[in-house]
Amino acid sequence: MKTELNYQSYKKPVIDTPPATPEAKPTPKITIDGVVIPFQAGDTIMQAAERANAAAEIPRFCYHPGLPIAGTCRMCTVEVEKMPKLMTSCSTPAADGMIVHTQSPKVRKSRTGVMEFLLANHPLDCPVCDKAGECELQDYNFEYGPSTSRFVEEKRVWDDATTKKLSDKVTLNMNRCVHCERCVRFTDEVTKTNDLVMKNRGYKKELSATDEERGLWNDYQGCLTDFCPVGALTFNDFRFHKRVWFLDKKKSICDQCSKGCNIEVHSDQNVVERLMPVFNESVNGHWMCDEGRVSYHTAMNPLRIVSPLLKSKGASKDAALVSTTWEFLFQQLNVVIKSSKKILFIIGTDASCEEAEQVKNWSSKLAGSSVVYFNGVNGVQTSKDDGKLDHLLRMKDKTSNTRGVEALGIQPINPNQVSDADLVIYLRAGRAQLPIEFSSSAPWLLWGVWNLEEVKSVQQKLNVVGLIPGLMTMEKDGSYVNESQLKQTVTTTIQTTGHCLTVNKVIEGLWIK
Amino acid sequence: MGKINTVNVSKKYTFKESLYLVAIIQGMMITLKRFFEGFVLHKKFTIMYPEERRDYSQRFRGEHFISIDNNKTENCTACFLCETVCPAECIHIVADEREDDQNLYGVKKEKKPLSFDIDALRCCFCGMCEEACPKDAIKLSRNYEMSVLKRDDAIYDLDHLKREVKGLKGRG
Amino acid sequence: MDQIMWIALFLKIAVVLACCMGSVPFLVWFERRGSAWIQGRVGPNRVGPFGLLQSLADVLKFFFKEDFAPKNASRIYYYLAPMIALIAPLGALTMIPFGSYVEVAGQVINLQIAEVNAGVLFILAFAGLEVYPIILAGWASNNKYSVFGALRGSSQIVSYEISMGLALVSMLLAYGTLDLHSMVEWQSSAAGMWGCVMNPIGALIFWICTFAETNRLPFDLPEGEAEIVAGFHVEYGSMKFALFFLAEYVAMIMASALLATVFFGGYSLLPGFSHLVGWVSSAQGWPLQNVKAFFEFASLFLKVAFFMFVFVWVRWTLPRFRFDQLMDLGWKILFPLAMLNLGYMVALVTYLARSH
Repeated sequence: MKTELNYQSYKKPVIDTPPATPEAKPTPKITIDGVVIPFQAGDTIMQAAERANAAAEIPRFCYHPGLPIAGTCRMCTVEVEKMPKLMTSCSTPAADGMIVHTQSPKVRKSRTGVMEFLLANHPLDCPVCDKAGECELQDYNFEYGPSTSRFVEEKRVWDDATTKKLSDKVTLNMNRCVHCERCVRFTDEVTKTNDLVMKNRGYKKELSATDEERGLWNDYQGCLTDFCPVGALTFNDFRFHKRVWFLDKKKSICDQCSKGCNIEVHSDQNVVERLMPVFNESVNGHWMCDEGRVSYHTAMNPLRIVSPLLKSKGASKDAALVSTTWEFLFQQLNVVIKSSKKILFIIGTDASCEEAEQVKNWSSKLAGSSVVYFNGVNGVQTSKDDGKLDHLLRMKDKTSNTRGVEALGIQPINPNQVSDADLVIYLRAGRAQLPIEFSSSAPWLLWGVWNLEEVKSVQQKLNVVGLIPGLMTMEKDGSYVNESQLKQTVTTTIQTTGHCLTVNKVIEGLWIK
Repeated sequence: MGKINTVNVSKKYTFKESLYLVAIIQGMMITLKRFFEGFVLHKKFTIMYPEERRDYSQRFRGEHFISIDNNKTENCTACFLCETVCPAECIHIVADEREDDQNLYGVKKEKKPLSFDIDALRCCFCGMCEEACPKDAIKLSRNYEMSVLKRDDAIYDLDHLKREVKGLKGRG
Repeated sequence: MDQIMWIALFLKIAVVLACCMGSVPFLVWFERRGSAWIQGRVGPNRVGPFGLLQSLADVLKFFFKEDFAPKNASRIYYYLAPMIALIAPLGALTMIPFGSYVEVAGQVINLQIAEVNAGVLFILAFAGLEVYPIILAGWASNNKYSVFGALRGSSQIVSYEISMGLALVSMLLAYGTLDLHSMVEWQSSAAGMWGCVMNPIGALIFWICTFAETNRLPFDLPEGEAEIVAGFHVEYGSMKFALFFLAEYVAMIMASALLATVFFGGYSLLPGFSHLVGWVSSAQGWPLQNVKAFFEFASLFLKVAFFMFVFVWVRWTLPRFRFDQLMDLGWKILFPLAMLNLGYMVALVTYLARSH
């Protein structure tokens, strides 16, 4: 039984819970809104209701499944029979035989009261607020809130904290804050950086960075903006870019490190606007790091090369690559491949398992060719070099599929092989290291996701003869093996921009034609 | 194939009707009457447009504008509600952080439209943007003379929309 | 001697051309203004007094429009069509007598440009030519719509030409001559009467057929804006289109004149004019015959003007036929009716000849 802090769910014990022996004790049961629900010992009423997914959602502000329980917002109160007062469902442990009402008039009245208090000082700036549309305060107010306000006094305004940059990633608007303190608990208990704090008390209670000079310094600041129930904390990368109701949401996997966090790609008209973590108990819990959160910029980079490039015949080593058609590229490269005796395929460890396998199969049919993999980011060469960067999610290996490529029996690169080969083909999905450490006079073919600057820096060292644009993780189907050997499969979330082709299409074009 | 029952609803013409000439002459008498009404009495329904103008309703929905405050700053906060509600999808907003302006209460208006384009050629003048606007920023004026010489001119940008509009009784 | 005849001939041509071409702008204006009056509108009223110069402005516009031909058109026929369209009715117009005669310097000058004694046949021949511009224009434009228009136009004109011819033949029986002058003389003589009185059904058939022959509503299927864009002249622009436009009105004038001549007494004086002739002649001391010729011309002019008005009037009253209705009317109603009418005329003429 592990004892380390579980970053997935604060309350629930870590993955290997000893299986409950049915004969030892009968499963306890609780009745919520007339439905009898079995629950695990130690569950609160809210958790029991959540797990069974039986009752209507109990509204909450301070409760978050990944955070310690506070019980401060009083929004989640429910009526429990034989208890004189309303109980906060987030902090009341469920007991066998308990009868709970989550929608009784008394409960609703209480929630309306809470909402009225919260809205007393909450500005009516939903049009401006980025949270509008996915705001819990909005949703609950629509459901429970009073339709009018009796508050006639002037609202509380934080002159200096209306738009305050807590860091270069997060902006705070204190007017909107409902003091649920999820963010503070997150920095205390999850990231353990303690870089957010509530200062002053009561009416003047204000969220502030612990060290205002330094601001926030944890690597999971995006999560603060995810679970903030109002628009008090907003993520600068997404701030004011798009209203959330325009977004298409599709599940995918973050390809920024060997962790393979589960994410949701939010896009509008094939333009990715942001990435958000999706709960997966065995991978990332509720969280995701900021580096992964802004990684969609690789795919959306305006400098990304999305049409095939080819160096014209007889051009010098430094000559620029010229945009061409797929037909012409296939025709030209076909000749090059046929005339090459020793082709070296380098697979970047950010390629998916399927892509690596397809290249490997192709290579096995080309006499004299060999396949190796290459990682090189952060000095990581094989999966043995991998390790955690902190106690949460961030990994040293910044590519997503090192273990998947290794599982295919592909060997890590050996610099001698590079100088040996008379044609090097390097497939990479935007993360694996640029091959600038190698010295080779052989022609190089770059394949996959590259941007203009990367290609230019490669060209300074190597003789690049062509570039075959490929797809990002979010643009293709594939599977990736993460650091705990878990194989995860993704499907296409956005359509590729430009003329990028899948690996099998390229192989088909290069080989058969 | 099932049998389809059809009913012939055409009626048989009487002899007089089948001659047509009577009906033709009747019709021609009507037009003759109208001819003399127009020729002699100058009876007409035409409004002589540039000189004479029709009085439109106070609620007529014409060319768009964005209301401005005392500082000549647009009231729009780029909330995208008009873009969302627009059935013709003719509004295109790019939002940005507003750095400079203070409103009456000293609270920063956080957000501003960096660009606000209305494609008047796509617009169907339904007025839904006006309904949706929480800031009473976008409005439809009563101006219906919106002809332009270039298509580009029909795409109203923020500068055009922020012009001052007068004579909007009963609106806004 | 001959010189006077030549000068007279040119004068006659000048008068006829001036009257007929000069009245077209007015007719166009009247068509638009009249339709406006019928429909409670205003019509063209900006250019000149009452908008009278609107046609002039239109002509100017036509002149300055780019003269282009479709890439795949058959050039020769494409350019030939509007010419024939105008030439055919103008040619037919030469046969129409617009007065009995004048006496100038002891010379008797017949008021008719071409004094052909088989005038009716000549007119029929020229009227038959009117189908050519439609077919040529429609086919040579290399456009599907114009071909549709041409097909409709040709079948329509050919169909109605038969009824028209039969109606005319019935009158030839009565008059016993092919010379239009003699016809008018017969109608204005004491024993004679207007052709429409003797043969009302023939007059009606002929009248209806003139609408079809000139492609006027309700028979404007060759143009059919709503169905085939503009029919046979869809590919014509600038002055080429203007020629078609002009030709339509000249054809209307010609048809009206022919109708007036054959069925409505031609240049014979309108009731009351004979007194006027005597009065003017005695008051001014002008030769009686010349004054009479002037009033004969005025009579014909007024008759033609009335028929032109009817053309406009009908156009803004009746909707266009469907094509099958058009063919039904032409072949199943007008053609048998014209045959029966011919039989009636034969009987009538025989009876009259016996009784005399």
